[in-house]
Amino acid sequence: MDGCNLFGITTPIDTIKVLQNDLFPQAQRLKIQTAPYMRIVLHHSRISQEDKIFIKNGVKWLNEEAITIYRSSYIKLPASKRQKLLQSISQTQWGDSFLYNIMGYLFEAMLGDPIYGANKAEAGWRWLAFEGGKPRPKKAFL
Amino acid sequence: MVDVCIIGSGAGGAPIAYELANAGFSVVVLEKGENYTEADFNKDELAVSRRDMFTPPLNEQKHIIKEYKADGTFTRYDGAESGWNFWNGSMVGGSSNLMSGYFHRLKPNDFRLKSIYGEIEDANVVDWPISYEDLEPYYTKVEKIIGVSGKVIQHKHQEPRSTADFPYPPLQTNAVTKWFDKACDILGYEAMPTPRAVLSQNALKRNGCYYSNFCGSYGCASAAKGSARAALLQKCSAKVITDAFVYRLESNKTKVTRAFYYTKHGIRDSIRAKIFILAAQAIESSRLLLNSKNEYFPTGLANSSGEVGKNLIFSAGGSGRGRFVFEKLSQTQQQELMQTGLFFNRSLQDWYEFDENSKHYKGGTIDFLFEHQNIIPRVMNELYDGEGNLLWGEKLAQKVHKRLTTSRVLTFEVFNDWLPTDKCFVDVDETVKDKYGVPVGVIHLYGHPHDLKVGEHLAQKAVKVLEELGCEEIEYSISSAPPPNLVAGGCRFGEDAKNSVLDKNCKAHDLQNLYVTDASFMPTGGSVPYTWSIYANSFRVADVIKKRLKASIS
Repeated sequence: MDGCNLFGITTPIDTIKVLQNDLFPQAQRLKIQTAPYMRIVLHHSRISQEDKIFIKNGVKWLNEEAITIYRSSYIKLPASKRQKLLQSISQTQWGDSFLYNIMGYLFEAMLGDPIYGANKAEAGWRWLAFEGGKPRPKKAFL
Repeated sequence: MVDVCIIGSGAGGAPIAYELANAGFSVVVLEKGENYTEADFNKDELAVSRRDMFTPPLNEQKHIIKEYKADGTFTRYDGAESGWNFWNGSMVGGSSNLMSGYFHRLKPNDFRLKSIYGEIEDANVVDWPISYEDLEPYYTKVEKIIGVSGKVIQHKHQEPRSTADFPYPPLQTNAVTKWFDKACDILGYEAMPTPRAVLSQNALKRNGCYYSNFCGSYGCASAAKGSARAALLQKCSAKVITDAFVYRLESNKTKVTRAFYYTKHGIRDSIRAKIFILAAQAIESSRLLLNSKNEYFPTGLANSSGEVGKNLIFSAGGSGRGRFVFEKLSQTQQQELMQTGLFFNRSLQDWYEFDENSKHYKGGTIDFLFEHQNIIPRVMNELYDGEGNLLWGEKLAQKVHKRLTTSRVLTFEVFNDWLPTDKCFVDVDETVKDKYGVPVGVIHLYGHPHDLKVGEHLAQKAVKVLEELGCEEIEYSISSAPPPNLVAGGCRFGEDAKNSVLDKNCKAHDLQNLYVTDASFMPTGGSVPYTWSIYANSFRVADVIKKRLKASIS
């Protein structure tokens, strides 16, 4: 069983949405939605199956930790407990690796070309005074 | 039957296609990758740098890597499982589309490494069978046809030239280069503008550089970059068959008779030619020869010497970096620092040769450049604090914002000789196969300790420049990690057929009509990036083949 079904209606994207906001709330302040980009990631032809499984397993393990410690899935925890949980798993090898990965995709969404859907109006680039290279892509590489 | 069939369309193959097609001969180029034109190239960081759109997926095509220690033990890596990627650019024009185009010539002593510097224990150093003087006219030809911009500065290791200066003026540079030049003056170093295979103005029916800020790793949308495609293949009538993966060369006792390839749809096809040119990149050229063994050549085509795949080399050295921070700069300097688009383009060759403890050493080149503008890795570099703890939330946001908007990293790359050894070579794995069912190449890696010593010497000199510039967080790494885009050897050329694969004109000793013209021919690599020398040598071999074909007609 992967992280999709373990917690009923909680899908990996639901969890990742909350998780990415916990990890980098600046994105939401810039009106950048990074979680939908994860659908691209999970279906991307050039991202290995192993990497996709790791994302789903990470979500599953995160929720398992949440239930073990707080008897609640991650997204139903209050913010303070979610932060404590992140502190806890960041000290583990899998947790460090999972959070690093999730942030990698978060920054791909936030700072990749706007054609991928998240970096609307170049909000991520503008925040860092960054000018994307030209010419810009005419279509997303999937 | 065509006159010439070329396997691989990069810097090793394209000059021959260009020269022979323009001389009226029928030329077919078989290229494994797709064709892209300037209109296809963009600066999509996700596609180019994060999803590797220009190289094959590793789950379909990979290498097995065996990394050796000095005691002979090794660690085995599966390329697909480890993500260790030795592909460079499967596309028309090959990786020359994606190069940064840092162009340095070899120097006369690079051709006589053994004679000048002597034997080094456990290294298979030999002199080249040709001299700098043989290659010099072709370096000049590359400057004109590929398009090299720069300015010759006389320094103690400046190689002889048949022309006074480059045909194209230097590219525009960031104002920080003035700080760099001043720092070098103080240190007594001779800073030189880095020659680039990038046109600084419209020329050769190509547009000049438009300073996109994204050069290395990316295709060039203006054709300013001197890729084999833009500079050569788009300017000749050679027929390029794309998506054609050559899996075997057929031969009789004296000649290659046919190249077999898979089309995009997996259909087998073949082509006959009078002359075959192999230029599939060093590792893949050796792999193809080894996979083409037959009754006449039971250990691999052109391999009576047993030398095919042997003495694989890379560019040794490493890289380093230092950070300029706003706190140490005036407002004007801050603006100069953050000016993007313009190049840095500074190199040092003061220690191309040096003496230490009464011993004369072959040294190398140091190129300086700003950190690549790709923004995602620059942010990802900030994810840990000084104690190695992962950061997130407001702490991370503040750190990222400050680092990316009020500081900038200057990097350097050290290039020195990767000594050829018995432990660094290519063979094939009979059990592990690619998507075509062809045995994959096995890359055996070993870096000679001498390489590290020289690299260390050079890096310490580069660090002094960063210190003089007032950079913070200065660090460097010199290691035996092989840069996959700087690979050569495997089919070294030489006078003696017993210990070399190719003769001095890059024709296989064993076969009358097979030439290998990518970087495979190089017995030693010099202390510069290889591309200019690959181009120059390929133009040289093209002249030899042209004469031969003309003679056969007359």
